[in-house]
Order: sequence, then C-alpha cells, then structure tokens
Amino acid sequence: MSSILVQVIVGGLLLGAVYALFSSGLTLIWGMMNIVNFAHGDFVMLGMYVAFVVWTMLGVGPFVGAPVAALVLATLGIIVYFALIRSVMKGPMLAQILGTFGLALLLRYSVFWGFGANFLTLPGDIVGGTYDVFGIKLQASRLLAGVVALLVTLGLHVLLTRTSLGSKMLAVSEDATAAQLMGIRPDSMQAIAWAIAAGATGIAGALIATFFYIAPTVGETLGIVAFVTVSLGGFGSVPGALVAGLLIGVIESLSAYLIGAVYKDIVVYSLFLCFLWFRPQGLMGKT
Amino acid sequence: MKLKHIVGLLSAAAMSVVLAGAASAQDKTVKIGMILPLSGNAASAGVHGKAAIETAVEIINTGNPGLGNLPVTKNAGLKGLGGAKVEVVFADNQGSPAVGQNQALRLITEEKVVALAGAYQSGITLTTSAIAEKYGIPFVNGESVAANLTERGFKWFFRVTPVASDFARIYLDFLKELKASGIKTDNVAIVHENTEYGTSVASVITSVFKENGLSIALDIPYAANTTDVQSQVLQLKDKKPDVLIMVSYTSDAILYAKTMQALDYKPPMMIADNSGFSDPSFIKTAGKLTQGIFNRSSFAIGAAGTPTYLINEIYKKKSGGDDLDDTAARQMQGFFVLVDAIDRAGSTEPAKIQAALKATDLKPDQLMMGYKGVKFDDKGQNILAAGLVIQLQDGENYVPVWPKQLAKTAPALPYKGW
Amino acid sequence: MRRFLWPLVALALVIIYPLVFTTPFQQRLGALILLYAIAASAWNIIGGYAGQVSVGHVVFFGCGAYAAMGAYSHFGLPPLAGIPAGIAAAVLIAAVIGVPTLRLSGHYFSMATIAVAELARLIVTNVEFLGAAVGLSGPTVPRTVFDLSFISALPYYYLFLAVLLITLGITWWMANSRMGFYLRAIKDSERAARSLGAPASRVKLYAFMLSAGLTSVAGALYAMIVGFVDPESGLGILVSVKMLIMAALGGAGLLFGPLVGAAILVPLEEISNNLLGGKGAGLTFVVYGAIIVIIARFQPGGILALINRLWAKRKTPKTPDTEAAAGASNAP
Repeated sequence: MSSILVQVIVGGLLLGAVYALFSSGLTLIWGMMNIVNFAHGDFVMLGMYVAFVVWTMLGVGPFVGAPVAALVLATLGIIVYFALIRSVMKGPMLAQILGTFGLALLLRYSVFWGFGANFLTLPGDIVGGTYDVFGIKLQASRLLAGVVALLVTLGLHVLLTRTSLGSKMLAVSEDATAAQLMGIRPDSMQAIAWAIAAGATGIAGALIATFFYIAPTVGETLGIVAFVTVSLGGFGSVPGALVAGLLIGVIESLSAYLIGAVYKDIVVYSLFLCFLWFRPQGLMGKT
Repeated sequence: MKLKHIVGLLSAAAMSVVLAGAASAQDKTVKIGMILPLSGNAASAGVHGKAAIETAVEIINTGNPGLGNLPVTKNAGLKGLGGAKVEVVFADNQGSPAVGQNQALRLITEEKVVALAGAYQSGITLTTSAIAEKYGIPFVNGESVAANLTERGFKWFFRVTPVASDFARIYLDFLKELKASGIKTDNVAIVHENTEYGTSVASVITSVFKENGLSIALDIPYAANTTDVQSQVLQLKDKKPDVLIMVSYTSDAILYAKTMQALDYKPPMMIADNSGFSDPSFIKTAGKLTQGIFNRSSFAIGAAGTPTYLINEIYKKKSGGDDLDDTAARQMQGFFVLVDAIDRAGSTEPAKIQAALKATDLKPDQLMMGYKGVKFDDKGQNILAAGLVIQLQDGENYVPVWPKQLAKTAPALPYKGW
Repeated sequence: MRRFLWPLVALALVIIYPLVFTTPFQQRLGALILLYAIAASAWNIIGGYAGQVSVGHVVFFGCGAYAAMGAYSHFGLPPLAGIPAGIAAAVLIAAVIGVPTLRLSGHYFSMATIAVAELARLIVTNVEFLGAAVGLSGPTVPRTVFDLSFISALPYYYLFLAVLLITLGITWWMANSRMGFYLRAIKDSERAARSLGAPASRVKLYAFMLSAGLTSVAGALYAMIVGFVDPESGLGILVSVKMLIMAALGGAGLLFGPLVGAAILVPLEEISNNLLGGKGAGLTFVVYGAIIVIIARFQPGGILALINRLWAKRKTPKTPDTEAAAGASNAP
C-alpha cells in the first residue's frame, strides 16, 4: 500500500471520528424520544460560535471553549425541551419536523443577525500543528476531535448501560407510563437527555471549529451527514454512530481519492440505501 | 394568436403604469432595484455587494470631486436630471430563482424602480432579467459570468463584467509569458467546485487552453458544500502539477487552504479564480496560509489618494472594515454604468435609459475597474471588459503583478504557502 | 348538503381573489400559493393520509420540472408537452424506490427518501443532457400560446387553480374509496391493518405512485412560471421540506390542510422577505422560523385541525373532517 493511500485512510478515519462525534447527540435524542431533530446541525453551528466567542474574548482554545460550549448548549437543550419539544412530542411525527425545522431557521438566522454572514475561523495552530508519523501527517486538531469522539461515545455508552441514571432514561424511552409508575419522572429524564445530547453536540461544534470554517449556514451541511450517520448506525445506538461515522469517513475519503470527489456522496448514499435494504434497522439498531 | 395581442396590451398597460409612477418621482429621486443573495449560502457575497452599492449611492448623492473622471461623482445628485438623488431598493433573492423573480416583479410593479441590477448567482440573474425583459425595464449586471446570459436575444439586458473566456485568456497569456521566462508550466491541474460557476469557468479554461496547445493534465471537480477535501489534496500531491488552478467559493477555499497546510502540500504555482479566494473573509482567515497565490481581478485598491483608494475608504465604513473585493467592485462598477446611462438619458423613461446604455462608451479613466472601457455589443455584453493578475504578497494584500504596464511588482515564484 | 356550503364559499373567494387584488405581485403571490398547495396536497396523499413521511418528494417535483424544460430546450416543444413524460418518470421512479423503501418504518423511511433525493440531485448535477449544474431554461418570449409564457400571473393563477381542484378531487375520491380506508388503517397501526387483511404494501405503493405523479405536475407548473430549473431549485432537499411543512402546518391528512398551510406560509415568506429581506440581516428567517415554532408548539396538529375543533365545538354533529383531524393527532 502506497503511503498516500495510507494517508487517505487515516484521513478518512479521523474525518469519520468527527462525524461520529457530532452525531452522538442526535442518536441519543432520536433513540430515546423517537424525535428527529432537524435543528441538530444548527446546534453544532452554535457550538462552533461559542468556541469562537471564547477565543475572541479570552484568547483560549477548545480546552476552555469545549466545556463552555457544552454548558451553553446543555442549557439551550433544556430550554428547547421545555419550551418546544415537550408539547411537540404529543403531536404527530410531522409536528416534530415542523417544530425543529422552524427552530433550525430561528437559530441559524439569529446567529446571522448577531454575527453577520462572514466566514470565520479559529487560528490554525490553536490546538497544535501537524505531527509526522512515518510520513503520515496527523493534524493535532483532528486527532483531538477523534480522541474526544471516542471518549464521548464511551462516556454515553457507560452512562446508558452502567449507571442508574442511564437505566432510568432507558426505562422512560421504553415505556414512559410504566416508568412513571416506578417513580421515575419522565419529564426530568427527558430534559436531562436533551441537556446531555445538546452538551455533547456543543463539544463537537467547539472541536470542529478548530479545523473547519464557521458560518451561520454550516449546520445545513453537517446536519445531513449526521442524519445519514445516525440512521446507518441505528437510531439510538451510540456505538453504532461511531462505527457508522468511521465507515462513512473512510468510504468518502477512498471514493473521493479513487473515483473522484464529486462521486463520493453518490457512493455513500447508494451504499446507505443498499444497506437499508438488507438491514432496515441500521448497523446496531434494535429490531 | 389573439392572446399575443392581449399579452402585448397588458405589457403596454403595465409599462404606462410604470412610466406614470416614474414621472412623478422624477424631480426628487431615481429609484433603482438591486437584487442580491442576502440570506442563504451566498449571503456573505450579497452583504458585501450591498455595502458596495451603498457606497456608490453615497458618492453619487453627495458628490465627491476627488474621484477623477468617474462619471456622476463630481457633484451631488444627477446633473442630467436636475440634481435628482438616487435611491436603491434592496431585495433578497434567498438563493432561489423563483424568489428572485418575485422580488424583481415587486421592485418593478410596486416600488416602480426605473432599472434593475444584480442578482449575483447566474441562475437567478437569468430568471430575474427575464422579468425585466417582459416589463421592458433595463437590467444591468455587473458580476454574473455564465455565458448563456447574453445569448438569449434580450434587448434590456446589459452585462459589464468580463466573462469566463476573458479570464481564461488572461491566465493563458500570463502562463505563456512565464513559460517564455523559463518557468515550468506544462502540467496544469484544475480543481473546481461543481455548481454552475465552477463548472462553466473550468470548461471554458480547458477549451481555451486546448485551442492554444496547452492541455489540462488533471481535472478534479468537487461539491462546494463538501465537509472534507483531504482526498483531493492528496490526489494533487500524488500527481504533482506545475500549475494548479482553483475555482472555489469561500467555504471550500478555506478548507483547501487549511488542508493543504495540514498535509504539507505546496504546488510550484497556484492560480485562484476570484470568488472564494477574493472574499475578504477568506483573506482574513486563510490569507496567511496562501501567500503567493495568484488571482485574477479587475480591481486594485491602489496607492493612497487614488480614486479607487478613496472609494475603498468609504466602502470600509459601510462594510465594517472589510476591503472592497473584486466581486463587490464589479457590482459597483455595473451600478455606476447604469447610473451614468440614466444621467445621460436625462430621463427615467426605460426606453431612453436603454438607448443611453446602448450608446455607453466609457474610457478606462472613467472607470474604477481595470477594464479597457465599457461598450456593449448587440447582445448587451461589454466588449472592453478585461482583467489583470494579482498576487497575495506580504500578509493580506493582493498586488497587481501582470500585465507589466499595470504591475506594481514582479510575480514572485514559487508559491510560498504559509 | 350543508357540508358543501363552506368549501363552495371558499372556492368563490379563491376565484374572485385576483380580480380584487389586481397588482401583478398580488396575483403572482396568489398563483404561488396555489402552486405550493398543489405540491403539498400531492405530498399529503402519502405523507398525510398514509402517514409515510417522505422527505424525498422533490425527486418527483424535479421529474416534472426537468421534463417541462427538457421538452423545450431539447425538442423545441412547449413545456406543457413535457408533462406526460414527467408524470411517467415520476410514477416509474416512485415504483422503483417505493418497493424497497416503503418496507422501512417511520424515520428510516424518511431518511431513505432524503438519501434518494440527494442522490438524484448529485447525479443530475453531473448529467450534461439535463443541463448539469447550469440547469435548463424555458422560452422567455412565447412563440405560441401553448408555451404558456405570460407577463401577467393571471393565466397561471386560473391554470393552477384548475390543477389544484383536480388534485383535491383525486385526493377526495381516494380518501373516500377503499384505498383511503386502508391507508388510514395502516397509518393507525400497520400491523393491525395487515392482520385484518389489508394489502398494506400494495396500497402504500399505489398511494406513493399517485402522490408522485401529482407532485411531478406541480414541478412542471413551477418550471413554467419561473422558466428555469437547476439542481438546487428543482432537486434541493429544501423543496421537499417546504411541501412537508405546508401540509403539516395546515393539517396533514386533511383534504384542505395543505391549501391552508400554503395560504399561510407562502404570503408569510414573501411578505417578511419584502419587509425585512433588503436589510441583509437575516431577519426574514428569524421571523419565519419563530412563527413556525410557535405554531408547532401550540398547534401540533395543524391550523385546520384547530379550526375544525373550534367548529365542532359550536355544532356538535361530527363531520368527516374532524374525525380525520382526530386521527391525525393520534398518530405516534
């Protein structure tokens, strides 16, 4: 294998880790509440802007920016849950799409209003430069995002499967009425789920901001990738999103390199559709 | 066939309404409609275009004798219309051809504008100018480059900007001259985004180069809203072209700059086709990573005290500190050409403005852009549109480097990067 | 027969509208409301009545739009002549993608249709015959009446109205046929419907194909009034979302729901753009987004469901519409 091909695959894995990172919040909400959050990409976008503001005001990078973004977004998640989602959940699935689509526009253009349409970036060396490992280039900012993606996935997985909070949340998602009879308050569990999901998305945004451009409309681009990642991984499966993210990243990189950049999305969508034919519940989804 | 007459009558009726509206406004203001992408993916460009037009309006309405021979700037208001002021109604096309049309219709029939300008994206310029054509209202475009715009037999459409074939020729002549001086330019790669802008520019460059015996060794199209460009950069790293030509919007241009640094790839020579690489937000965010990149432009800010420098000073106040880039400057030049025609027509009657536009013959010293002049052919295309090659040197400034008579310094090679 | 009274009054108002609001912009606005009402009503058949939330309907919209513009730019025919080809293509594509995707439940179906739509957009962007990234345009100057290229929006208005009436007629007929009965049963519980012997797969597929064919007509009409189609405006995911939110906001699964949704959202979008768009500060969509959020928050079943409920409170006898409304808000 030529060293360039290795570089393509390594680049794809790092890209895929980032996809997984900003998809984990979406899959959590989707799996727990059966809600499609059309504003998810815009949550990522908000995380990026928080990181940018932190950098402009304090001159510090994502080590401060990411926790701040997590806090800000978690707060927003709780507000969104109580102000919108709680009542929208009672309606048909369409009401969720309607509500979260409206929310997406509202968030996107509020940021546009506040920050303008200009493209922004963080300085390229905010996390560190590029490492050279046996001729393979590893960008520190992407490496950090990849490591955090693994940690977040692991953290969410442990939370859901090994803690009492997690089992309570899963109980609510299985059967809210039964959970209530057991003394669990569905409302607070779901609000917590929104806080965790939005917080994780905030971290993702803050980290992506270190190597991506920042603009009000960036959520549109990222949102669709997150949808595909989550449905390929299986709704609600956090490890599924990680595997799916890595898979999509590598497939994109390889097909862009071997077939051509314009065909990479065609390859990904076609494979995704074929895959659904054989396994309608996604990689790790429940039947 | 009867309906044709009805359509004709309706348009005549609509026109008389427009004329009546215009006549009453004549003694005070001249209303012009400007359609721009003020939301959506191209909003960054639209907002800069808006600032540019606001700058032009301020210059025209207050008068600015320091701007050399630039028409309609000497005294306040339009001399030909008894000192009438210009008023611009801005409209957002939201990146949609249908919305652009709705706004064109509103500007013509409700706001009673005497002429239209815009609309940035070629596809939207196409649909909005069709409305202007139906209503018999002049439409002046300063920025859209798609070839088909002037191939429709329109009588009310005028385009001031150079088009893709003009740029291709600039690149070709520039490369030929470099080759003559011993620089390797045989192996050319084009990387372009695949919407209408990138596709049409790349295909014109390819065919012009081919006609002149220069082949394009590598052609990499990609989607502008892509999340990642590592594979494309690695492909380039593998193929090692002598000259890399990039046709990109802003978001992808930023990604390329960052990725090329991360993967440590520097082509010996890199030419960027305007758009993304000229966007002030690109220069601010990624300019330090792309030192030595060539770009085409028809605009240069120039030395302190020159008209273009003074215009840029006013523009900076409107844009929040950004310098005037080539795209916004081309829009501004288009607007000046339109206002000059209205001034010379001495009337806000569409037919008279149309006649004045047809008679336009501006000399280079009457322009803020580096065109050889402005003169329209039968199709409404400016046949004297031209450009020059600029290079990003010493930080965040593009300086003219070619052709020699307009150059401030010599082109610096090889490409420096970061 | 009193249940026909209000629809007839509404119809009379719709017919009179362009004669009262006579400025070109108001007439065009009216035409666009009807156009989006056609598209959203077509979507409503599969998305509302059958409860299969397709986010890929823009594929069918694009079939119509590209067929109409292709008829003109490749064969010199009036765009109108492309409509049958557009319908045929849309129905065929619906059949091909419907068989595998309609097996998928809930969100997976939505996701699969998004993928199909993106796939179509990406492929067409690379197909030279379909104008690739540049797109196809229609006649600017009409050669004959059949080119349907008018200055005034008035002819479009009545043309669209006629098509909308046909669309609503087909929807009504379908909703009251055995197929409509099956669809409602499937929407409530597909498993129950199957166990009671409803041919669920077949009925869903027919509804999908019917919906696709009508959507393609909407696409063709769109291309005619705008005179242009490119991958973004003819196959962009936002067009699908628009159909969906209009139906949802008005009342999905109700006959007049999409019309009500279009009559609210289209003017809202245009007027907020007229008033705020020129400022270049993004305020248009702040307002637009906020209003959608508020409606979704306080009226998740759609505006028409609310009207019907208020109506039913005044008069106790139930009309079929209110039953359908109740069905809509029961859905998961």
